[in-house]
Amino acid sequence: MLNDLITVTPRHENAAKLILDRIIEIRKELPKDKMIVTISGEVGSGKSTVSVVLARILKPQGIRAKIIDLDDYYKIPPLQRRQWRLKNGINSIGYDEYDWVKVKQNIADFKDSKTSKMPCVDLITGYVDELRTNFEGVDMLIINGLYSLRIENADFKVFIELTYDETRDAQKYSQKENIDAYRLQVLQREHEVVQSLKSHAEFYIDFDQSLYHL
Amino acid sequence: MLNDILLITEKHKAAADAILNYVLEQRKDKMVIAISGESGSGKSELTYLLAKLLRREKIFAKPLHTDNYYMTDPLKRKEWRISRGIENVVGYGEYDWAMIHKNIDDFKHSRRSEMPCVDLVTEQVDQLITDFKTVDMLIVDGLYAIKAEGVDLKVFIELTYLETKEKHTKDSRGKEVMDEARWDILGQEHKMVQALKPLADLLINTDYQVVEVK
Repeated sequence: MLNDLITVTPRHENAAKLILDRIIEIRKELPKDKMIVTISGEVGSGKSTVSVVLARILKPQGIRAKIIDLDDYYKIPPLQRRQWRLKNGINSIGYDEYDWVKVKQNIADFKDSKTSKMPCVDLITGYVDELRTNFEGVDMLIINGLYSLRIENADFKVFIELTYDETRDAQKYSQKENIDAYRLQVLQREHEVVQSLKSHAEFYIDFDQSLYHL
Repeated sequence: MLNDILLITEKHKAAADAILNYVLEQRKDKMVIAISGESGSGKSELTYLLAKLLRREKIFAKPLHTDNYYMTDPLKRKEWRISRGIENVVGYGEYDWAMIHKNIDDFKHSRRSEMPCVDLVTEQVDQLITDFKTVDMLIVDGLYAIKAEGVDLKVFIELTYLETKEKHTKDSRGKEVMDEARWDILGQEHKMVQALKPLADLLINTDYQVVEVK
Protein backbone atom coordinates (compact mmCIF):
# COMPACT_ATOMS: atom_id res chain seq x y z
CA MET A 1 0.00 0.00 0.00
CA LEU A 2 1.38 3.37 -1.00
CA ASN A 3 0.41 6.65 0.64
CA ASP A 4 -1.53 5.16 3.51
CA LEU A 5 -1.71 7.86 6.17
CA ILE A 6 -0.40 6.33 9.36
CA THR A 7 -0.93 8.17 12.64
CA VAL A 8 0.65 6.45 15.60
CA THR A 9 -0.84 6.89 19.07
CA PRO A 10 0.40 5.46 22.41
CA ARG A 11 -2.45 2.92 22.16
CA HIS A 12 -0.97 1.52 18.95
CA GLU A 13 2.46 1.46 20.53
CA ASN A 14 1.20 -0.45 23.56
CA ALA A 15 -0.64 -2.94 21.38
CA ALA A 16 2.47 -3.51 19.26
CA LYS A 17 4.60 -4.03 22.39
CA LEU A 18 2.21 -6.70 23.70
CA ILE A 19 2.37 -8.51 20.37
CA LEU A 20 6.17 -8.20 20.32
CA ASP A 21 6.47 -9.75 23.81
CA ARG A 22 4.35 -12.71 22.75
CA ILE A 23 6.35 -13.17 19.53
CA ILE A 24 9.60 -13.24 21.49
CA GLU A 25 8.10 -15.90 23.82
CA ILE A 26 6.93 -17.99 20.88
CA ARG A 27 10.34 -17.84 19.25
CA LYS A 28 11.99 -18.96 22.47
CA GLU A 29 9.72 -21.98 22.64
CA LEU A 30 10.04 -22.80 18.97
CA PRO A 31 12.80 -20.99 17.07
CA LYS A 32 11.67 -20.48 13.52
CA ASP A 33 12.93 -18.77 10.39
CA LYS A 34 10.32 -17.26 8.12
CA MET A 35 7.54 -16.72 10.63
CA ILE A 36 4.09 -15.51 9.56
CA VAL A 37 2.02 -13.21 11.79
CA THR A 38 -1.50 -12.18 10.83
CA ILE A 39 -3.25 -9.10 12.20
CA SER A 40 -6.99 -8.98 11.80
CA GLY A 41 -9.73 -6.71 13.08
CA GLU A 42 -12.57 -4.52 11.90
CA VAL A 43 -12.30 -1.65 9.43
CA GLY A 44 -10.59 1.26 11.18
CA SER A 45 -9.43 -0.82 14.13
CA GLY A 46 -5.80 0.18 13.60
CA LYS A 47 -4.50 -2.97 11.91
CA SER A 48 -2.13 -1.21 9.52
CA THR A 49 -0.82 1.19 12.15
CA VAL A 50 -0.16 -1.62 14.65
CA SER A 51 1.56 -3.56 11.84
CA VAL A 52 3.93 -0.70 11.05
CA VAL A 53 4.76 -0.06 14.70
CA LEU A 54 5.29 -3.79 15.30
CA ALA A 55 7.59 -4.12 12.29
CA ARG A 56 9.61 -1.12 13.49
CA ILE A 57 10.11 -2.47 17.01
CA LEU A 58 11.01 -5.92 15.65
CA LYS A 59 14.03 -4.38 13.93
CA PRO A 60 16.11 -3.78 17.08
CA GLN A 61 15.40 -7.44 17.96
CA GLY A 62 17.20 -8.41 14.78
CA ILE A 63 13.97 -9.44 13.07
CA ARG A 64 13.36 -7.96 9.63
CA ALA A 65 9.64 -7.97 8.91
CA LYS A 66 7.82 -7.19 5.67
CA ILE A 67 4.24 -6.00 5.85
CA ILE A 68 1.61 -7.25 3.43
CA ASP A 69 -1.76 -5.50 3.36
CA LEU A 70 -4.54 -7.74 2.07
CA ASP A 71 -6.38 -4.70 0.73
CA ASP A 72 -3.82 -4.75 -2.07
CA TYR A 73 -5.27 -8.08 -3.25
CA TYR A 74 -8.84 -7.13 -4.15
CA LYS A 75 -9.73 -8.62 -7.53
CA ILE A 76 -11.70 -5.50 -8.41
CA PRO A 77 -9.53 -2.34 -8.27
CA PRO A 78 -10.52 0.48 -5.87
CA LEU A 79 -11.96 2.81 -8.49
CA GLN A 80 -14.37 0.17 -9.82
CA ARG A 81 -15.18 -1.63 -6.58
CA ARG A 82 -18.20 0.37 -5.50
CA GLN A 83 -19.90 -0.07 -8.89
CA TRP A 84 -19.06 -3.76 -8.89
CA ARG A 85 -20.47 -4.28 -5.41
CA LEU A 86 -23.65 -2.37 -6.23
CA LYS A 87 -24.15 -4.58 -9.26
CA ASN A 88 -23.38 -7.87 -7.51
CA GLY A 89 -25.28 -7.26 -4.30
CA ILE A 90 -24.31 -7.00 -0.67
CA ASN A 91 -23.63 -10.74 -0.36
CA SER A 92 -20.80 -10.49 -2.87
CA ILE A 93 -18.85 -8.60 -0.21
CA GLY A 94 -16.47 -10.84 1.70
CA TYR A 95 -13.37 -12.93 1.27
CA ASP A 96 -14.18 -14.02 -2.25
CA GLU A 97 -13.41 -10.46 -3.32
CA TYR A 98 -9.74 -11.16 -2.67
CA ASP A 99 -7.26 -12.90 -4.91
CA TRP A 100 -6.22 -15.66 -2.50
CA VAL A 101 -4.20 -17.47 -5.16
CA LYS A 102 -1.92 -14.46 -5.38
CA VAL A 103 -1.77 -14.13 -1.58
CA LYS A 104 -0.69 -17.80 -1.33
CA GLN A 105 1.87 -17.32 -4.08
CA ASN A 106 3.45 -14.36 -2.27
CA ILE A 107 3.49 -16.30 1.03
CA ALA A 108 5.21 -19.21 -0.75
CA ASP A 109 7.78 -16.82 -2.25
CA PHE A 110 8.46 -15.45 1.23
CA LYS A 111 8.94 -18.98 2.61
CA ASP A 112 11.31 -19.81 -0.26
CA SER A 113 13.22 -16.49 0.05
CA LYS A 114 12.47 -15.66 -3.57
CA THR A 115 11.89 -12.43 -5.44
CA SER A 116 8.17 -11.85 -5.63
CA LYS A 117 5.73 -9.62 -7.47
CA MET A 118 2.77 -8.33 -5.54
CA PRO A 119 0.00 -5.81 -6.11
CA CYS A 120 0.37 -2.44 -4.40
CA VAL A 121 -2.48 0.08 -4.27
CA ASP A 122 -1.62 3.78 -4.35
CA LEU A 123 -4.25 5.25 -2.04
CA ILE A 124 -3.86 8.69 -3.61
CA THR A 125 -4.47 7.77 -7.24
CA GLY A 126 -6.57 4.68 -6.51
CA TYR A 127 -4.61 2.70 -9.10
CA VAL A 128 -2.92 -0.63 -8.50
CA ASP A 129 0.84 -0.67 -9.01
CA GLU A 130 3.02 -3.72 -8.91
CA LEU A 131 5.76 -4.14 -6.31
CA ARG A 132 8.73 -6.40 -6.76
CA THR A 133 10.50 -7.38 -3.58
CA ASN A 134 13.23 -9.82 -2.62
CA PHE A 135 12.28 -11.98 0.36
CA GLU A 136 15.87 -13.05 0.87
CA GLY A 137 16.83 -11.84 4.33
CA VAL A 138 13.25 -11.12 5.36
CA ASP A 139 12.59 -13.01 8.61
CA MET A 140 8.93 -12.38 9.14
CA LEU A 141 5.79 -11.63 7.18
CA ILE A 142 3.15 -9.48 8.87
CA ILE A 143 -0.11 -9.88 6.99
CA ASN A 144 -2.80 -7.43 7.94
CA GLY A 145 -6.34 -7.39 6.66
CA LEU A 146 -9.99 -7.90 7.52
CA TYR A 147 -9.86 -11.60 6.71
CA SER A 148 -6.21 -12.38 7.41
CA LEU A 149 -7.39 -14.98 9.95
CA ARG A 150 -8.24 -17.17 6.98
CA ILE A 151 -4.54 -17.72 6.32
CA GLU A 152 -4.06 -21.19 7.74
CA ASN A 153 -0.29 -21.49 7.76
CA ALA A 154 0.16 -18.43 9.97
CA ASP A 155 2.32 -19.00 13.06
CA PHE A 156 0.61 -16.37 15.17
CA LYS A 157 -2.87 -14.91 14.69
CA VAL A 158 -3.80 -11.59 16.28
CA PHE A 159 -7.23 -9.98 16.42
CA ILE A 160 -7.74 -6.34 17.34
CA GLU A 161 -11.03 -5.82 19.14
CA LEU A 162 -13.20 -2.89 18.28
CA THR A 163 -16.96 -2.94 18.02
CA TYR A 164 -18.88 -2.05 14.90
CA ASP A 165 -20.09 1.26 16.37
CA GLU A 166 -16.54 2.18 17.28
CA THR A 167 -15.57 1.31 13.74
CA ARG A 168 -18.17 3.70 12.41
CA ASP A 169 -16.68 6.43 14.57
CA ALA A 170 -13.17 5.49 13.51
CA GLN A 171 -14.24 5.83 9.88
CA LYS A 172 -15.38 9.38 10.45
CA TYR A 173 -11.83 10.26 11.25
CA SER A 174 -10.27 8.13 8.59
CA GLN A 175 -9.36 9.90 5.37
CA LYS A 176 -9.68 6.67 3.48
CA GLU A 177 -13.21 7.12 2.22
CA ASN A 178 -16.45 9.02 2.34
CA ILE A 179 -19.27 7.59 4.41
CA ASP A 180 -22.81 7.31 3.11
CA ALA A 181 -25.79 4.95 3.58
CA TYR A 182 -24.41 2.37 1.17
CA ARG A 183 -20.97 2.44 2.78
CA LEU A 184 -22.64 1.77 6.14
CA GLN A 185 -24.31 -1.31 4.63
CA VAL A 186 -20.92 -2.50 3.38
CA LEU A 187 -19.40 -1.96 6.82
CA GLN A 188 -22.21 -3.97 8.43
CA ARG A 189 -21.61 -6.86 6.05
CA GLU A 190 -17.81 -6.76 6.54
CA HIS A 191 -18.39 -6.63 10.29
CA GLU A 192 -20.45 -9.85 10.11
CA VAL A 193 -17.81 -11.67 8.04
CA VAL A 194 -14.99 -10.51 10.33
CA GLN A 195 -16.92 -11.63 13.41
CA SER A 196 -17.48 -15.07 11.88
CA LEU A 197 -13.70 -15.51 11.63
CA LYS A 198 -12.80 -14.06 15.00
CA SER A 199 -12.64 -17.40 16.84
CA HIS A 200 -9.65 -18.41 14.70
CA ALA A 201 -7.42 -15.89 16.49
CA GLU A 202 -4.91 -16.85 19.19
CA PHE A 203 -4.32 -13.44 20.67
CA TYR A 204 -6.87 -10.68 21.23
CA ILE A 205 -6.06 -7.07 21.85
CA ASP A 206 -8.54 -4.65 23.25
CA PHE A 207 -7.44 -1.05 23.05
CA ASP A 208 -9.68 0.06 25.90
CA GLN A 209 -9.28 -2.77 28.38
CA SER A 210 -6.25 -4.80 29.17
CA LEU A 211 -5.27 -7.58 26.85
CA TYR A 212 -6.33 -11.18 27.10
CA HIS A 213 -5.68 -14.25 25.09
CA LEU A 214 -7.08 -17.77 24.69
CA MET B 1 8.41 4.99 -0.15
CA LEU B 2 6.68 2.32 1.88
CA ASN B 3 5.72 2.62 5.54
CA ASP B 4 6.60 6.26 6.00
CA ILE B 5 4.92 7.96 8.96
CA LEU B 6 3.62 11.46 8.31
CA LEU B 7 2.97 14.15 10.90
CA ILE B 8 0.34 16.35 9.32
CA THR B 9 -0.56 19.61 11.06
CA GLU B 10 -2.79 22.59 10.27
CA LYS B 11 0.14 24.58 8.86
CA HIS B 12 0.75 21.84 6.28
CA LYS B 13 -2.92 21.89 5.30
CA ALA B 14 -2.96 25.67 4.87
CA ALA B 15 0.21 25.63 2.75
CA ALA B 16 -1.08 22.76 0.57
CA ASP B 17 -4.30 24.73 -0.01
CA ALA B 18 -2.29 27.76 -1.13
CA ILE B 19 -0.07 25.72 -3.45
CA LEU B 20 -3.16 24.09 -4.95
CA ASN B 21 -4.34 27.48 -6.22
CA TYR B 22 -1.07 28.08 -8.06
CA VAL B 23 -1.15 24.58 -9.53
CA LEU B 24 -4.71 25.04 -10.79
CA GLU B 25 -3.83 28.45 -12.27
CA GLN B 26 -0.85 27.07 -14.15
CA ARG B 27 -2.41 23.71 -14.86
CA LYS B 28 -1.15 21.88 -17.93
CA ASP B 29 -1.08 18.35 -19.27
CA LYS B 30 1.44 16.08 -17.58
CA MET B 31 2.52 18.83 -15.21
CA VAL B 32 5.53 18.24 -12.94
CA ILE B 33 5.68 19.93 -9.53
CA ALA B 34 8.78 19.74 -7.34
CA ILE B 35 9.03 20.38 -3.61
CA SER B 36 12.45 20.93 -2.02
CA GLY B 37 13.40 21.59 1.55
CA GLU B 38 15.61 20.29 4.30
CA SER B 39 15.07 17.17 6.33
CA GLY B 40 12.07 17.66 8.62
CA SER B 41 10.71 20.68 6.73
CA GLY B 42 7.48 18.90 5.77
CA LYS B 43 8.04 17.91 2.11
CA SER B 44 6.35 14.52 2.36
CA GLU B 45 3.41 15.95 4.30
CA LEU B 46 2.89 18.74 1.73
CA THR B 47 3.23 16.30 -1.15
CA TYR B 48 0.68 13.95 0.35
CA LEU B 49 -1.83 16.73 1.07
CA LEU B 50 -1.40 18.40 -2.32
CA ALA B 51 -1.94 15.08 -4.12
CA LYS B 52 -5.07 14.46 -2.04
CA LEU B 53 -6.43 17.96 -2.82
CA LEU B 54 -5.74 17.47 -6.52
CA ARG B 55 -7.61 14.18 -6.45
CA ARG B 56 -10.67 16.10 -5.24
CA GLU B 57 -10.32 18.24 -8.38
CA LYS B 58 -10.33 14.97 -10.37
CA ILE B 59 -6.63 15.35 -11.08
CA PHE B 60 -4.62 12.15 -10.51
CA ALA B 61 -1.25 13.10 -9.04
CA LYS B 62 1.48 10.66 -8.11
CA PRO B 63 4.22 11.46 -5.60
CA LEU B 64 7.81 10.63 -6.53
CA HIS B 65 10.18 10.73 -3.56
CA THR B 66 13.79 11.27 -4.57
CA ASP B 67 14.93 9.50 -1.39
CA ASN B 68 14.10 6.27 -3.25
CA TYR B 69 16.95 7.06 -5.64
CA TYR B 70 20.00 7.03 -3.40
CA MET B 71 22.80 5.08 -5.02
CA THR B 72 23.96 3.67 -1.68
CA ASP B 73 22.09 0.97 0.21
CA PRO B 74 20.04 2.41 3.13
CA LEU B 75 21.78 0.18 5.67
CA LYS B 76 25.28 1.06 4.50
CA ARG B 77 24.78 4.75 3.69
CA LYS B 78 25.89 6.27 6.96
CA GLU B 79 29.07 4.24 7.15
CA TRP B 80 29.81 5.05 3.51
CA ARG B 81 29.33 8.77 4.12
CA ILE B 82 31.57 8.80 7.17
CA SER B 83 34.33 6.83 5.45
CA ARG B 84 34.32 9.17 2.44
CA GLY B 85 33.96 12.34 4.48
CA ILE B 86 30.51 13.86 4.99
CA GLU B 87 31.42 17.25 3.48
CA ASN B 88 32.82 15.50 0.38
CA VAL B 89 29.92 13.21 -0.51
CA VAL B 90 26.64 14.38 1.03
CA GLY B 91 24.68 16.14 -1.70
CA TYR B 92 23.15 15.67 -5.17
CA GLY B 93 25.88 13.29 -6.22
CA GLU B 94 24.40 10.61 -3.98
CA TYR B 95 21.28 10.31 -6.11
CA ASP B 96 20.70 8.39 -9.30
CA TRP B 97 19.64 11.41 -11.39
CA ALA B 98 19.64 9.42 -14.62
CA MET B 99 16.95 7.18 -13.14
CA ILE B 100 14.98 10.14 -11.72
CA HIS B 101 14.99 11.79 -15.15
CA LYS B 102 14.05 8.53 -16.84
CA ASN B 103 11.04 8.13 -14.55
CA ILE B 104 9.99 11.76 -15.09
CA ASP B 105 10.29 11.17 -18.83
CA ASP B 106 8.22 7.97 -18.54
CA PHE B 107 5.54 10.02 -16.81
CA LYS B 108 5.60 12.74 -19.49
CA HIS B 109 5.24 10.12 -22.20
CA SER B 110 2.57 8.08 -20.35
CA ARG B 111 4.71 4.97 -20.30
CA ARG B 112 4.75 2.01 -17.96
CA SER B 113 7.66 2.62 -15.65
CA GLU B 114 9.77 0.82 -13.14
CA MET B 115 11.15 2.80 -10.23
CA PRO B 116 12.93 2.14 -6.96
CA CYS B 117 10.79 2.16 -3.81
CA VAL B 118 12.37 2.04 -0.36
CA ASP B 119 10.56 0.14 2.37
CA LEU B 120 11.44 2.11 5.50
CA VAL B 121 10.66 -0.88 7.69
CA THR B 122 12.79 -3.54 5.99
CA GLU B 123 15.23 -0.89 4.70
CA GLN B 124 15.29 -2.71 1.39
CA VAL B 125 14.84 -1.16 -2.03
CA ASP B 126 11.86 -2.71 -3.79
CA GLN B 127 10.90 -2.00 -7.39
CA LEU B 128 7.58 -0.34 -8.14
CA ILE B 129 5.98 -0.77 -11.54
CA THR B 130 3.40 1.84 -12.40
CA ASP B 131 1.49 2.85 -15.51
CA PHE B 132 1.74 6.62 -16.02
CA LYS B 133 -0.96 6.59 -18.70
CA THR B 134 -3.65 7.52 -16.19
CA VAL B 135 -1.54 9.88 -14.10
CA ASP B 136 -2.08 13.61 -14.74
CA MET B 137 0.57 15.17 -12.51
CA LEU B 138 3.80 14.21 -10.84
CA ILE B 139 4.90 15.67 -7.52
CA VAL B 140 8.63 15.20 -7.06
CA ASP B 141 9.71 15.72 -3.49
CA GLY B 142 13.12 15.57 -1.93
CA LEU B 143 16.02 17.63 -0.67
CA TYR B 144 17.16 18.62 -4.19
CA ALA B 145 13.93 17.88 -6.12
CA ILE B 146 13.70 21.35 -7.73
CA LYS B 147 17.04 20.71 -9.38
CA ALA B 148 15.45 18.01 -11.55
CA GLU B 149 14.94 18.74 -15.25
CA GLY B 150 11.51 19.30 -16.74
CA VAL B 151 9.84 20.71 -13.64
CA ASP B 152 6.96 23.15 -14.25
CA LEU B 153 6.45 24.50 -10.73
CA LYS B 154 9.21 24.65 -8.13
CA VAL B 155 8.35 24.97 -4.45
CA PHE B 156 11.01 25.61 -1.80
CA ILE B 157 10.45 25.31 1.95
CA GLU B 158 12.69 27.74 3.83
CA LEU B 159 12.51 26.00 7.20
CA THR B 160 15.99 24.76 8.16
CA TYR B 161 17.05 21.78 10.22
CA LEU B 162 18.02 24.12 13.05
CA GLU B 163 14.42 25.30 13.28
CA THR B 164 13.09 21.74 13.32
CA LYS B 165 15.80 20.53 15.68
CA GLU B 166 13.35 19.00 18.12
CA LYS B 167 11.97 16.75 15.40
CA HIS B 168 15.40 15.31 14.71
CA THR B 169 16.30 14.56 18.29
CA LYS B 170 12.89 13.07 19.11
CA ASP B 171 13.08 10.58 16.27
CA SER B 172 9.31 10.06 16.47
CA ARG B 173 9.32 9.02 12.83
CA GLY B 174 11.82 6.31 13.64
CA LYS B 175 13.67 7.20 10.48
CA GLU B 176 17.21 7.74 11.64
CA VAL B 177 18.99 7.66 14.95
CA MET B 178 20.44 10.96 16.10
CA ASP B 179 24.17 11.30 16.74
CA GLU B 180 27.04 13.61 15.87
CA ALA B 181 27.48 12.27 12.36
CA ARG B 182 23.78 12.83 11.71
CA TRP B 183 24.13 16.49 12.73
CA ASP B 184 27.08 16.86 10.35
CA ILE B 185 25.02 15.29 7.57
CA LEU B 186 22.13 17.69 8.25
CA GLY B 187 24.57 20.60 8.22
CA GLN B 188 26.02 19.57 4.88
CA GLU B 189 22.57 18.96 3.37
CA HIS B 190 21.59 22.41 4.64
CA LYS B 191 24.36 24.03 2.59
CA MET B 192 23.48 22.07 -0.53
CA VAL B 193 19.73 22.64 -0.24
CA GLN B 194 19.99 26.38 0.46
CA ALA B 195 22.05 26.82 -2.71
CA LEU B 196 18.95 25.79 -4.72
CA LYS B 197 16.67 28.47 -3.30
CA PRO B 198 17.11 30.89 -6.27
CA LEU B 199 15.47 28.28 -8.55
CA ALA B 200 12.14 28.44 -6.69
CA ASP B 201 8.84 29.79 -8.09
CA LEU B 202 7.12 29.56 -4.72
CA LEU B 203 8.65 29.91 -1.28
CA ILE B 204 7.20 28.58 1.93
CA ASN B 205 8.67 30.85 4.57
CA THR B 206 9.57 29.97 8.15
CA ASP B 207 5.99 30.86 9.24
CA TYR B 208 4.81 28.37 6.62
CA GLN B 209 3.22 31.10 4.48
CA VAL B 210 3.32 30.51 0.73
CA VAL B 211 4.97 33.42 -1.09
CA GLU B 212 5.30 33.87 -4.84
CA VAL B 213 8.77 34.74 -6.15
CA LYS B 214 8.52 37.62 -8.60
